[in-house]
Parts: sequence; C-alpha cells; structure tokens
Amino acid sequence: MSKTYWNAPVASSEPQGPILEIKGLSAGYGPMRVIHDLDLVVRPGERLGVVGLNGHGKSTLFLAIAGLTGWQRGSIKLNGREVGGSRSQGPGRYTHLIVRQGLAVMPQGDEIFHGLTVEEHLDSGAFTPRAWRERAPRKERILAIFPPLRKLMKVPVGRLSGGERRMVSIGRGLMVDAALFLVDEPSLGLAPKIGKGVMEALMAIELGSSAMIIAEQNVALLEGRVDRILGMHVGTLKGEASTSLASQTKRDL
Amino acid sequence: MSEIWKNPLAPWRGDAEPQEAPSEAYSDPGEVWRAKRQSHTKLYKVGRLRYYHKWRGHGAKTWTRTRYWPTRRRVLDIRGEYNPKILRREKTIVDKRPIWWLLSFIAIAVAPFLAPKDLQSTLISAGTVFLIYAAINLCWTLILGTAGIFSLATMAVVGAAAYGAASMSVFYGWPWWTLPFVGGGIGFVFGVVIALPATRLDGFYYALLTLGLNELCRVYVVQSRTFGSATGGVYGADSFIPTGASQRVELIIGYFASFALMLSALALFRFVNGKRLGRILRMAPEKREAFAQAVGIDYRTARIQVFIISSVGLGVIGGFYASYFHGASPSLFSFDSVLLGLAMLVIGGLGKAEGAVLGTFIVIVIDKVFLQLGPIRLILVGAIMLGVVLLLKNGLFGIKHQFRDWRDKKKSENRSTRAEKGGEMLPEEATEAGDKDLIYAQRFDKMQRDYLKGVVSEKLVEEHARNPLGQHSEPLERLLLYFRRQPQVDKYAIAVIEPFKAYRIVALSGHRGVAPRVVEEKTYPSEREAYHGVFLRRVQDLLES
Amino acid sequence: MDLGFVIVSAVTLACIYGTLAIGISITWSSLGLINMAYGLTFATAGYGAWLVGDQLQAIDAISDTTWIVGPIVILAGILTGAACGVVICAVTFIPIHDKPNFTVRGLIASLAVSLIGTQVLLQVFGPRAKSLPPLFGDWELPIGNVVITADKGGAMISSIVLLALALRWMKSSRRGLEIRAMMMNPHAASLVGIGVRRTGFYVMALTGALAGLASVLLSQTYYISPFSGLTPLIKGLSVALLGGLGSVNGAIVAAVILGTNEALTSALLGGQYALITQFLLIIIVLLFRPRGIAGILDKAREA
Repeated sequence: MSKTYWNAPVASSEPQGPILEIKGLSAGYGPMRVIHDLDLVVRPGERLGVVGLNGHGKSTLFLAIAGLTGWQRGSIKLNGREVGGSRSQGPGRYTHLIVRQGLAVMPQGDEIFHGLTVEEHLDSGAFTPRAWRERAPRKERILAIFPPLRKLMKVPVGRLSGGERRMVSIGRGLMVDAALFLVDEPSLGLAPKIGKGVMEALMAIELGSSAMIIAEQNVALLEGRVDRILGMHVGTLKGEASTSLASQTKRDL
Repeated sequence: MSEIWKNPLAPWRGDAEPQEAPSEAYSDPGEVWRAKRQSHTKLYKVGRLRYYHKWRGHGAKTWTRTRYWPTRRRVLDIRGEYNPKILRREKTIVDKRPIWWLLSFIAIAVAPFLAPKDLQSTLISAGTVFLIYAAINLCWTLILGTAGIFSLATMAVVGAAAYGAASMSVFYGWPWWTLPFVGGGIGFVFGVVIALPATRLDGFYYALLTLGLNELCRVYVVQSRTFGSATGGVYGADSFIPTGASQRVELIIGYFASFALMLSALALFRFVNGKRLGRILRMAPEKREAFAQAVGIDYRTARIQVFIISSVGLGVIGGFYASYFHGASPSLFSFDSVLLGLAMLVIGGLGKAEGAVLGTFIVIVIDKVFLQLGPIRLILVGAIMLGVVLLLKNGLFGIKHQFRDWRDKKKSENRSTRAEKGGEMLPEEATEAGDKDLIYAQRFDKMQRDYLKGVVSEKLVEEHARNPLGQHSEPLERLLLYFRRQPQVDKYAIAVIEPFKAYRIVALSGHRGVAPRVVEEKTYPSEREAYHGVFLRRVQDLLES
Repeated sequence: MDLGFVIVSAVTLACIYGTLAIGISITWSSLGLINMAYGLTFATAGYGAWLVGDQLQAIDAISDTTWIVGPIVILAGILTGAACGVVICAVTFIPIHDKPNFTVRGLIASLAVSLIGTQVLLQVFGPRAKSLPPLFGDWELPIGNVVITADKGGAMISSIVLLALALRWMKSSRRGLEIRAMMMNPHAASLVGIGVRRTGFYVMALTGALAGLASVLLSQTYYISPFSGLTPLIKGLSVALLGGLGSVNGAIVAAVILGTNEALTSALLGGQYALITQFLLIIIVLLFRPRGIAGILDKAREA
C-alpha cells in the first residue's frame, strides 16, 4: 500500500525512532510455525503487555527477538539495527550479540545458573564493561527493588525458592542499561501474592527511554498499569498492534 | 506511477461527468499472486520420491520366500502388492542391503586370486589384517552401538587374550586349535571385570576409564619380563598354518581363515543385534533409559550380557590373532591402535555392521597398502576421521539419512514460510473446515485484498470525494466493485435522517427483521459526503484487514 | 623407605597432575568437550619451550643465568600451550558445538586432532627426545632430613602459584564468571550476553596454558618427545575422573590422593605397579561414588 500517505502523520510526530520494530516475523521450530507474519512496534518509554493463552506464541516471540528459535524469517530492528533476518541453524548462535545490542531477557522458568551465588548471578548480568565497573551501585539499586535478596547474596541460587529465583532473574536483567526488557510470565508458578509483588517491582522500574514488554496470562495483573495491552492469538497480535493499525484508527480524514 | 485517466463516457454525457482525473496507472492483479506464491528464500531443487525397481510378481504360483535356515527369518525383505493399473502383482525389494553384502563377500572371496602378481603378498596380508580388524570392529560395534557402552578397552581385551593364548602355547605347548578357546575364556574374565564399573558409570567416565585400562595393559606388558619386555612380545605360538607350505598357500590359508572369522563375527553381530537383546536395547535408547525401565525393560542386564558376549567374541579373535601371527606384541595395546580402531568405526558410522566393515577397509587400505606414503598415512587417516566427524552426523553410511533430514528440514521451513497467515487458512484450520471451497475462496479473497491495498492512494480518495457516483477511473472502479460484492453482514449503508439535510452511516445486520446498527454519531449534510464517508470506512477496513 | 622423599615426590606429582586435571575438568564442564588432544597440547608446549630454550642457550650472555632463562622458557611453554588450545578449539569445538551428538563427535574429533598433531610433531622434530635446560637453578632446601631439590621445589611453587592465580582469575573476573556461568547453563549464559564460541576460546586458551605449564614443569624430570603427551593425558584424565569431571576442588583432592598413591606404590612395590594400583583405586572409588570425589564434596551439583 502507499505507506507514505497513510503513515505520514505518525512518522512526523515521532522524533526518536522506535526501540523495537518487527516486520513480517515468522518463527518456529522445525516443521512447526509458531509466529505468523507478525508486526510490532515498541516506542521508547513504553510499557507493553502481551496477553494470550498457553501455546499461542508469547514466549516464542521473545525467543525470536533473542534469536533462540529454531528458525525465523522477517525483520527485527532493535534500536534501528537489524537483529533478525533469515536464519535456520538452530537456537542461540547469535543470541549473545543480540543481547549486547541492548536487550534484557527475563525468561520464563529456570534459566539460571544453579551453582552461582545471588551476587555472582547479578554480576553475570553486567555484560558491558561499563556495567561491570559500576556493578556495586547497580546491585544496590536492585536490592532496593528486591529487599529480600539482601540477606541471600552469598547463597547459591539453586537453594532459593521460586519467587526468589524470579527476583534474581529479573535483577540480572536490570544490571545492564538495556533498551528493551522482555519479561516472560513474571507471575507464572508463583503464589498470587508473590506474583503481585514481582509485578509491582516491574512497574516500579524507571524506564526512561527504554521500553518493556511483559508477557502474562493473567490480564488482571496488567490492566491499567501498562501503556498498551496486546492480545496474542495463534501466533499473531490482536488489538492495537502495529503502527500502521494505530495510525489508521484515526477516522476523520 | 500516476497518469491522467480520461473518461471514455465524456463525449456522451457532456458536462455531467468529469473529462479526466488524475489516477494511478494500471497494475496487474497477477503480480500479487505471483509475488505471494514465490518463496522468500532461495529454494533448492531437492526432493524426489525414493525409487524402487518393480519386479514381476509370482503370478498364479504360490509365493515361497527364501529364509535363513533354521530360522523363519527372510533373506530379503520383499513386499508384494497388487498394481491395479497393470492388473498384476508386483514385488519390491524394500531393503537391498543383503544383496550388497553378498556382492562384497563374493568380492572378498575372489580378491586374492585377482591381485596382481608383484603385489600379491602385500595385498593378501593386508586383506587378512582387514578381515581380522573387521571382525574386531564388528564385536566393538556391538558394544558401542547395540549395548551403548562407550568402551575403549576393546583392543585391551583382544590383546590380553592374544597374550594369554600365545603364552599358553609358548610355555605349555598347547596346540593351535585350543588358542581361540583360551582367548574366549580370557575374554570372558576380562569382560566380566570391565563390565562391573559399566553398571555404575556414565558414558564418558567409562570411556576414560577404559582408555586408562588399555594404557595400564600396555605399560604392564612393556615392563613385564615374562611378556617380553626385552623381545618385544611373546613369539613362537603354534599356528593353524601348516609348516612347510609355500608362502602363497600360507597367505591364502590365513586369508580364508580370517574371512571365516569375519563371517562368524558378522553372524554374532546379527544374532545379538537382531534378536532379543538388540531389541531390548533398542527400546532403551540413550537418555530414555528411565522410561524403558518404567515399562519393565531390564536394559542393564541386557547391556552387560551384550558386553560379555562380545568380550568373549573379542577374546576368540585374540586367540585367533595369536595363532595367526605366532604370538602377540605390545603394539596391540598402543594408543594408536585404539585410535585407528575408533577411526575405522567412526568413518563407517557407529553402530552399523556395514559401517564397521567399510571403515575398516578404508583405514586398512590407507595404512597397509599405501606403504610408500610413509608417516603421512596416519595423518591422512586422522584427516579423514576429522572430516567425517565434523561434517557427517553418523559416518559414511549416515550420509543418506543426514541428507534426507536436511532436505526435510529445508522443505518444511520453506513450506511454513510460504504459508501466509491472514485470510488464508492454516493447515490445522483447513483440515477442520467443512466446505473445502472456503479454503480457496479465502485464499483468493486475500490475494484480491492484497492487490487492492496496493491500489488505494490519495488520488483515488480525492477522485471519489469529487465524484462518488458515475464513471470512475479504472483502479477506483475495481475498488468499488470489490466493496459492492461484500456480503450483507456488517455492510455499511446510509440512513437518511432528514432528506437532503442529514445522513448517517449504519451497518446492515444481514438478518431480516434486525435493524441496522448505528456506526458513528456523525451526520453528513449531503448525500455525496455520506457516500464518501462510507467509502472511507470501507477503505479503512480494507487496509486494516 | 624414605618417607620424606615419598612425601616430596607425592606433592610434586600432585601439583603437576592437578594442573593437568583441572584443565581437563574445566574443558569438560564448560564446553562439554572431552579434550583428548590435551596430550598433544602438552607435547606441543614442551616443544615450544624447548625451541625458545634452545635459542636462549645460543646467546652466551644469558645462557647461564637461570633467573632469566627459567621464566622465559616457562612463559614460552605456557603461550605455546595456549595457542595450541586455541587451535584445537577452532578445529574441534567451533564447527560442531551446536550439532547433534556433540559429546561423542567432539571426543572423536579431538582424538583425530591428536593423531594428526602427533604425527606432524614427529615429522617436524623427529623421534629424538629433547630436554629443557634446568629452569630453577641448582639449589637444595633441606627440611629436617628431607631434601627438596631445585626442580621439585620449583615445580611445586610455580604450579601452585600459577594455579592459584588461574583459579583466582576464574573466581573474580568477568571472564571467569562467564566461564563458570557457561559451565552451569549454556542456554541462560547466552541470554546474559555470553558468547559460547568466544568463551570456548578463552577456556581452551586457559586450559592450554595450564597444560603448557605442566609440560614445562614435568620435562624437568622427563623428556619431550612427540608421544610424551600420552602419559600425562592418561594421568590427568584419571585425576579428573577420580575428582569428578567438572569439579576443581575434587580434582585437587584427587591429585593429592593419586600423587600419594603413585609415590607410595613406587617406593613399596615398584614403578610398574603404580598404574595398576591407581586404576584399582579409581575403580573402587567410582564404584561407590560414580561422580568421583566431587560427589562427596558437593552435593548440590548434579550432571
């Protein structure tokens, strides 16, 4: 379509480019395609909720952004730099490079290092030289967000409870100045109260010019506290997903 | 891409219609179709059905299959089926490997008589070594592949048996025909001793341990005075080769004895791998042992049994070795011989009988035939081994499977990339759809919408605003025709609130007796503006879809 | 039997074997690779040190000053070892580390590299054994009735110091943290910006350097030949096995046990029984503790 005409007003009103710009992303594992031709734009300072049922591709969307799916096609621009493209060599080869472009992934489940202590764990998140130098104040900042971790600093993560692990995992993501935070199901498998606490902490994080996407099954936890909520249904986003859609909702031409 | 559209009706209608309007050039709807059908990624010309030659059926006669005596097992896996096109039965050989085996046996049997005269002794003795090592590797394949125990102590068992048998013959004067039995006994003892840790240890702990055992044997033999630290081995054992025969006869007797040894090793392999034990172990593949155990498969005992059986086999081969070479030397235990043995298995493909034999053949040809290459031989073997390991998933005999896997992966990736979501049904929806025509209708509709999305432009909107009714330029006409063709449900319509003064856009319910619903509060002062409002809404919906 | 001598040689052997075993252990647990080419690294590092030592001998001014020659030769061995480790990583780890069946294929690939490399060494340097100049001078330190000779004392001190430095580096620096993180969960490691391939190079360089150090130290008593890597490889593997693959603490304890065992057996029964008692010991320990001593030390760690 003639994009210039329909998108012109939006483009002019946006001085800074989007943090994340996904166009035509398809991704999957082997013969299975989980994400179908998905478009998504995330702007600086935005807190975005993605809701959807199990198996509809929320986690796969995050994994695809991080380059951890079996194969993927389509363009993913993080801070204006292409991190997507077509690849099919299996998960994880370029993940560390993508992460270094300013991505913080707080994955679902136990993607942690069981033998490292909480402190080492937080250190491991500081992967840029600057973050490594400033790791002490940063750790303090995270401890301010998650006070229960303070007395667990020397404890191996393998001995922590599920909620504490989730805190460690989120704290690890916060150690570096990421442009985009991907939080996958922060309340999954946690007692409702703890889940709510984790969510409070996420909401309390000062975003500045970065952005955050939270995937969640429990819409009630997100409602009214994020800037936008998108529904994810069989591999596509529903709701006010892409910019083209967002601009077109203005009716009076 | 703009051009001026000239109204063909202008000469007849005069000033009622515009003479011309700025519009878009004609674009071919086929373009969208072709672009959508094309793959986004490069497609390789891979994939054809597997080819099977069709043999004549057996006609009216009773079909008798050839079976291995005394089992009920068929020699060739032949499938018979009725071909309705030619109204006759035909037969397909599903698994052609037995034919290849037979051909290679014939080649092995004939080879010594075809070897050129000047190279005969080199070639025949190389052939003998090949056959002995093939037998060893077949037994080793049982351990590595069937039992799944990553043991590197094979050469240690062979060597120990060879040493034991040779010393029995040298020190006690036992005749040659007892040596394989002595070897088998030693192999059994060794097998039991080595199998003990295998019950407890994980694969790689075990591999390293057995490698250490091999080194232990070597160091012991090299330093022990009885086993010839001075003479470099135990020599002078009784041999099955009659003394006094010509060299050629000796070589040929040795060759065919080794051939028989290899055939019996192959028989052992088939017997263990193809029957109860092999099946039990195939039901308990690596990392899924727990499941196998949960359904009552006693894979541990089966593993140990296979290990001990093949250790006995290796012991027999060791006894044969001692009797053929008149003794044993410490080089049996050397790290290089373990390495070469592993190279043989790896090149052919771990866990396959044909792989073991072919790999042995390649390595022995390089090592024993191209003697003039000197030490480069070992580098060559190493390079082949490295290449095979880096490039192939499971040796030379795994190439076919690996290629098919790769092709299937590419195929499914390309297929899933081509399948567009949006208007088009996903495979799982399509199987559930009652009316299959819907699949194609949706596909066509999607293509059409994609095309029309490309057609929409500011000029057309302006053209429509100027003149909602009457003759339009070609692209606008296409757009309007598509809108008119839509079903009644939720189709926009104009409700007259007050004639010539107020109009409003509504959406039809599509059901008799159900009133249209109001879409927006805005009222339009004239009919033309209402028409244009409907048009804009429809364009909006089209672009959003 | 001279108890003092036994203790001294036990400690020396423990230091050197520990160095080797820790290298093997780290490689296995962080890369999932059983590096059978470790013996090759060992031999190559020996030759590298020998080449440099040979050049230094030619320079008259410093050929006798041990305090210059020694560190340079040790450094040369370490650097050659690290370079060899990097090459092995590039050949055996990088191409197949994300392919199916990597553990077996990596093992076999490193065996193939070791086969090729040993033959190349044989071609280049010939089968004659070489020996290094004395690195630690010519002094003796009598403690009571025990005499610690220069080579043993030097080997002990330098291996302990360098090993402690390496472990300290592993413990405190970002790279060390990356290596340890990759040991535990490679998938999560990539999510915190740790590149598996790059870390692979660091690990192999570090372990190669350890092998180089062990090689230089051991060649004070033994000679350097193309096949000299095999025995240290087997020793290192057995220590790593006994200690439990992947555990640094286990490897240290195992090195002490096996060093004591070797020294004791040599003194009591004779040298050719050292390997036999050693393997009996290992088999017995592994039968009770399939994951080695680490299984006793550290209950948290599994697999």
